[in-house]
Formats: sequence, C-alpha cells, structure tokens
Amino acid sequence: MTLLSLTGIESGPWITLLDGELPSEGDSIAVPIARLLEEGVSAFATAGALGAAVPTGTSFAELEEVVRSLTFVAIEFSAFGDGRGFSLAVRLRKDMGFKGEIRAVGPVMPDQAQFLLRSGFDSVEITDESRVGAFRVSLERFNEFYQTDYMGARSIAHARHGISQ
Amino acid sequence: MAKKIKGPQMILANRLDDGRVVFFTKDGGWNSDTVFAAYGEGETLEALLVEADKSAANNLIVGTELIGATIDGDQAYPSHIKHIMQAKGPSVRADLGYQVSADWERR
Amino acid sequence: MYAYDKFDRSLVDIRVAEFRDQVERRVKGDLTEEEFRPIRLMNGLYLQLHAYMLRVAVPYGTMSGDQMRRLAHIARKYDKGYGHFTTRQNIQFNWPKLSETPDILAELADVEMHAIQTSGNCIRNVTSDQFAGATADEIADPRPYAELLRQWSSFHPEFSFLPRKFKFAITGADQDRAAVKWHDIGLIVRKNDAGEIGFEVIVGGGMGRTPVIGKTIREFLPEKDFLSYQEAILRVYNEQGRRDNKYKARIKILVEAMGAEEFARQVEVEWEKIKDSHIDVPQEEVARIQAFFQPPELANQDATSAVTSEFAKKNFIFASWLQNNTNAHKVQGYVNITISLKPHGGIPGDASAEQMDLVAALSDEYSQSEIRVSHEQNLILPHVALKDLPAIWADLDEAGLGTANVGLLTDMIVCPGLDYCALANARSIPIAQAITKRFDDMKRLQDIGPIKVKMSGCINACGHHHAGHIGILGVDRKGQEMYQLLLGGSGAEDATKAAILGPGFDEHGIVDALEKVVAVYLGVREDGEEFLSTYRRIGAQVFKEAVYDAA
Ligand code: SF4
Repeated sequence: MTLLSLTGIESGPWITLLDGELPSEGDSIAVPIARLLEEGVSAFATAGALGAAVPTGTSFAELEEVVRSLTFVAIEFSAFGDGRGFSLAVRLRKDMGFKGEIRAVGPVMPDQAQFLLRSGFDSVEITDESRVGAFRVSLERFNEFYQTDYMGARSIAHARHGISQ
Repeated sequence: MAKKIKGPQMILANRLDDGRVVFFTKDGGWNSDTVFAAYGEGETLEALLVEADKSAANNLIVGTELIGATIDGDQAYPSHIKHIMQAKGPSVRADLGYQVSADWERR
Repeated sequence: MYAYDKFDRSLVDIRVAEFRDQVERRVKGDLTEEEFRPIRLMNGLYLQLHAYMLRVAVPYGTMSGDQMRRLAHIARKYDKGYGHFTTRQNIQFNWPKLSETPDILAELADVEMHAIQTSGNCIRNVTSDQFAGATADEIADPRPYAELLRQWSSFHPEFSFLPRKFKFAITGADQDRAAVKWHDIGLIVRKNDAGEIGFEVIVGGGMGRTPVIGKTIREFLPEKDFLSYQEAILRVYNEQGRRDNKYKARIKILVEAMGAEEFARQVEVEWEKIKDSHIDVPQEEVARIQAFFQPPELANQDATSAVTSEFAKKNFIFASWLQNNTNAHKVQGYVNITISLKPHGGIPGDASAEQMDLVAALSDEYSQSEIRVSHEQNLILPHVALKDLPAIWADLDEAGLGTANVGLLTDMIVCPGLDYCALANARSIPIAQAITKRFDDMKRLQDIGPIKVKMSGCINACGHHHAGHIGILGVDRKGQEMYQLLLGGSGAEDATKAAILGPGFDEHGIVDALEKVVAVYLGVREDGEEFLSTYRRIGAQVFKEAVYDAA
C-alpha cells in the first residue's frame, strides 16, 4: 500500500480502529464515525491525532457533530462510482472549514485523481502499487478548469476576464 | 456467470477491439459466425466457459455471456430474439450490417 | 455560434490525449473492463448490441456546416457511411473500433466537437429549442445559458459520479419544443416585472420506467445566480439520490420521495450558502458568450416570394413541404426549414454521409453555415430566405430528404430498438417503416393533421413514448416482440403522460390499431380540432372500444 499525497498535507500513518478496539496512548487513530458518534469524542482522548473513518453514505450533518475534534478524515469509498465521497469532502472544506487532511480510501481510480484533489482531498491510499504512476500522471493532466472550486481556484470563466483570486 | 438457463447453451462475447459480437468456437477461438460455435450443457459447458474466460483475462474479449441455444444437427443457434439479432446484425440494414460486410470485418 | 478559445481547445485536446492513454491502458490490461466502462461512457463510447457505438455531442443542437462535413467524413472513414440523430440532439455512429476512437475524437476536436459526457452517470449534453435564436416567440436565446451549463458541467470534480445520468433542457420560447418538463432539470427563460432575465426552474421530470412530469421549484432565478443554483440542486441530489437501485436513482424519485417543497427547501438552504461564492461566472463572461449568438445580419426581403408561391401552385409535395416543414422566422421574408429525416419506409433519424454533406453545402449557401438538430430527430436550416425554398427543396428531394411530413403522423420519434440497442425488448424501426408505408399518402397525412407518434423499444423510453399523442412501447412477451399502445401524452408546455390503452399487439396488430385510433379521431373531431384535443375531450374509452371490440 502506498500513500500518495495530492496537496503535500499529510498526517502520517494512522491505525484504523476496529470495533471494540481501544487505542494505545499517543497513537494516531481513525475511528469509525458511527463509533465516534456513539461513544463520543472524549472516549478517545488518550489518542495522539484523532481522525474519523467515514463511509461515503454518512450525512454531512453527522460529520459536523464531531468535526472540530478531528485532525484528519478518511472517506471510505465503497466503489469508485460512489460520488457521494466527493460531496462529503466539499462539505468538509466549504461548510465546516475543515483544514486537516482528507484522505480517500477504497477503490478509487487513478483517473479520478484530479476530481479528488479539486473536491478537497489531500491524499489517496493506493492498494495496488503498480498504479502509483498512473495516479501521478492523472494528477497533472489538466491545468485549467471550468469550475470555481472551494480550494481557492477560480474558473476559466474568471480567468478569461483576468480574475484569478 | 449469468443467470442459470436450462438446456444447451453457447457462449457470446464482444471482441475488445471492435466490439463485434462473437461466439466461442469448437476449436477454442472466437468467431462471428454461429456455424463454428461450441455449445454444451452441464460440465461440458463449465469446461468451455473456463476456456472462454481465458480470452477475457487476456484482454481479447469482454462481457462473456451464456446464452440459450437451439441445436440443429451439430450446429447451435441462439434461441432468444436478442441473441438472434446479435448473430444476424440489424434487420433493417442488411446492406450495411456486418452480416454482409466482409471488408469491414478484415479491416 | 460559440467558438472555442484557447481554454476550450486545450481542454478537449487534453481529453483526447487522456482517452488515448486510457484505451492503451485498457488494451494492456492496466485498466479492468469494470473501471474502463465508466471512462469510455463519459467519452460517449458504448458497447452496444452488435459493436461499439459512439455518441457525439451536438451541444444544444447547434452546429456549423464544417462540423456536419466532419461528421460525414467520420461516417465514411471510421464507420459504415451513416449516422443516427437522436432525441438528445446528438449523433450516434454504430460501428467504430475502440482503437480508432481516439482518432475520431481528435478529428472532432479539430472542428470544436467532442463526445464528452454523452453517456455515463454525469451531466449529459444540454438540449434546447431547435429554433433558438431564430424564432419569433422567444424571450431570449437560451443557447448562451446552455453553453454556460456545458462548460460548468464538463469534468465537474464533484458531479462526475452521480447516482445516475442527469439531463438538462432549456428553452427561451413560449412554445416548448425542448420537452423541458420531462428532464431532470428543465429551464425556461423568463423576464420579471423589472424586465430582467431569469429562469423558471423545473426539477424531477423524466421518462423511463417511472414517467414523471417535472415540478417548478423556483419561479424566477436571477441570471446572475444561474450556475450556483444548479450546483445546489446537484449537491442535494448527489448526496441523497438513491444508489441501491438503478431504476430508483434518478432525481425524479428523490423529488417524489421528499416532496417537491422539501426538496426545494433543501436546495434553497444550500444555495444561500454558495450563491455569492464565485460559482457563478462574471457578468463579462455571460456577455462574451452571448456575443457568439447574435442574430445574423440578413438582407432585406419581401414578406412573400413570387417564385416560391408559383412553384407551390404547381407542385403539391412542395406546397405541403412549405406548409409543414417551414416555420416563421423573426425576420420578415425568412423561415426556418426542418429537413425531415423520416422518409416513408426509411429509418427515422438516420442520415448517410452524402446526405450530411449535402446539408452542410446547403447551409453554407443558404443558412449562414448553421444547422440544428431537433429532439424530434430532424435537421434544421435556420434563417433561410423564402425565395430560396424551391431550389433548396429540389436539392433535398433529390437526396431523399424532401419528405413533407414534419409534425404529421409519419414524423415519428423512434429509438433504435432491438436493431441496435442492447437494452431493447423489441424492434422499433421496422414498426416505424410499416406505419410510414401504411400512411404513405400526403393528402391523407395532411387531412389527419398535426399528431405526434413516439416509439421506444423498451421501458427506458428513449423514444419518448410517454410524451406521444400516440405512444408505442416495445415489450418482450416470452421471447416475442409485442407492442403496447399509449394515448394522450404531450412533451410540450401542456405536458401530460400518455396512458396505456389496453393489451399489446404483435408487429402487424400495432399498425392496424394505430390506424383504428386515427379513424376514430377523424370520425369525431370537431372543426379544426387536432388529435390531442379530441382525445382530451372524449377520453380513452371510445378509442378502446374501436381498437379492441372490432378485433
Ligand atoms: S428505449 Fe430502450 S430500446 Fe430504445 S434506445 Fe432506449 S434503451 Fe434502447
């Protein structure tokens, strides 16, 4: 497994907590969102960096309840076609002002790299090492975009009229 | 594997390059003409399918599908209208469907 | 017409390079078919019943003579010499090779065309009024807004993997020729009391297995907020649209489940948060795009043309063509011509490379090199001088394009059906051929008058059968092709869903049944009453009795 950083922001390795498992003191841990909501953020106070493992089906309202205590969020794609993950990342940046790392976990494709980056993801967990190269190529593919995003880039429509920021 | 169909079956797929509908043949290849198509039931069919799937693994064909067959002598023909259409080409462009276009086939 | 600048050009060029790379990776096995499938679909490439099929976008149905010539060239070089115009105002090629598709896309990019997002679970090609910018009954040309949508929706980072496909239609006219109420989002250009341009926003329309007429969720959206509002709708849909069942994944199901009011409320909440955040383009950009759609400068012409009237007196078919296939232009002495792609006995929507070349040449000579595609699968030459009609018709007629049936019974919308489509249950083209042969009599067709027959080869309803005055739906009954008859639909501003009349028919029975329906109408219509009005007045029962009892 390789961790590919898209933005340079990276929280380093972490452990995804299984059900019932407790963190060792100081560990960086990703806790399944359901468990975080149920047990409360304070139950994991001994952890080092605290993150949430968030399936794409999670509503942004649920995430909002705990987001202030999180250092990072791992969005878990069930399939590459599950586009809810992109909206979740957008919500984290746009509505919650989340500044920590957002990582894509699960079967995302190299060809989605720029979509991930532009929706607010910082990194991708790549299980098939042979695909790292394709991810990197895809990340550099386009350099101008038709949409203004929530990461500060203005659209081509703005660029055409000299508006860049 | 697709849903279970009773009786003899043949194996249909598309060639990866031109998308053309082809049938798994008795000599282990693929051909657009049902004349050469292999068919079988039960274990014979399972064995055929294992062979056929190797072509998918080699990125030569896609979408391997088992289809119901009608047997006449030692030849198999698709039973369902959809597969008959696939074997014959569009009924409304007999002049331009692949059924008559050997040139296009070789291109 | 819109012309690419360096940004647009660079994007399509990079896209072609990207797809070339993806095809290579697929052939080598670096991409699985499962992964490659959505990629090729987002580039318009399907694996169809017989082979690959490439769907090329004709954005909002407008193209140039040069672009049409390029389509003809592609048909000849990479296909089998013909193409099929669709209800999405696109064109489909039935026989491209995977390995040659990148070359086709490069040839398209060369003339500022593409196949981007003509398929896949993303925002599809935006459709519009085929007479946009050339019709008298219009508040504003909708195409600049369609172009804004095209750009905003292309490679959208957040909305490229929606629960299901997503279709926009926009019109600027009173008369709805774009079936806006049958789309995921339908937009109608409106003017408020202050004279400002805005849009009525209609959401959740759609055909398919569950036909739904869209609901207005906003009466007036100011022009400056155009895109941010669409983004809010798409976000609510992307987050909450069903993904567990593909038949329940369209936005219409979400809107029905939530209720249009609650849906609208959630959209408004989200929109409030983003409406001034530069999702919308600067005003200068709207003006820049609008400048491409300025009405052409047309020479002064008399309101009537002696040459044309004289020729019409001598030639009945031309006179019918004049009546049916042309409509009023906003400039005196000009008309828009609809070229029928529904020759009797032919394949609805198909055009040969030679026919495409001819239309391109005629557009250069007579219509400012402009061509339109209608969702009714015909081609349009806009801005044509009345006096040029006899010459144009003669050329068209010689090429098999002179059929005078636009708006009449044989001008049917027909999907490819089981002759080409992998999802089909039954063939639709041979039924269309049988019907057009049965009614191959211009006098009879004229007498029957305006009537919209629409046919689909399966429940997916690409042939808009739910919106047909008469709809025909192909079904599979134990391996037999059968056809259901529906009556009373409309795709226009008075949109209604057609209702199934009764048990289905075989391929001969359906043609007979259609004829009986027409006979009932002819028997009971009041003076000047069109088919749909008669149906709405008398209801289904009389038709039902005539069709089923006599049998
Ligand atoms: S309606 Fe059905 S048969 Fe016709 S084109 Fe659509 S999917 Fe194919």
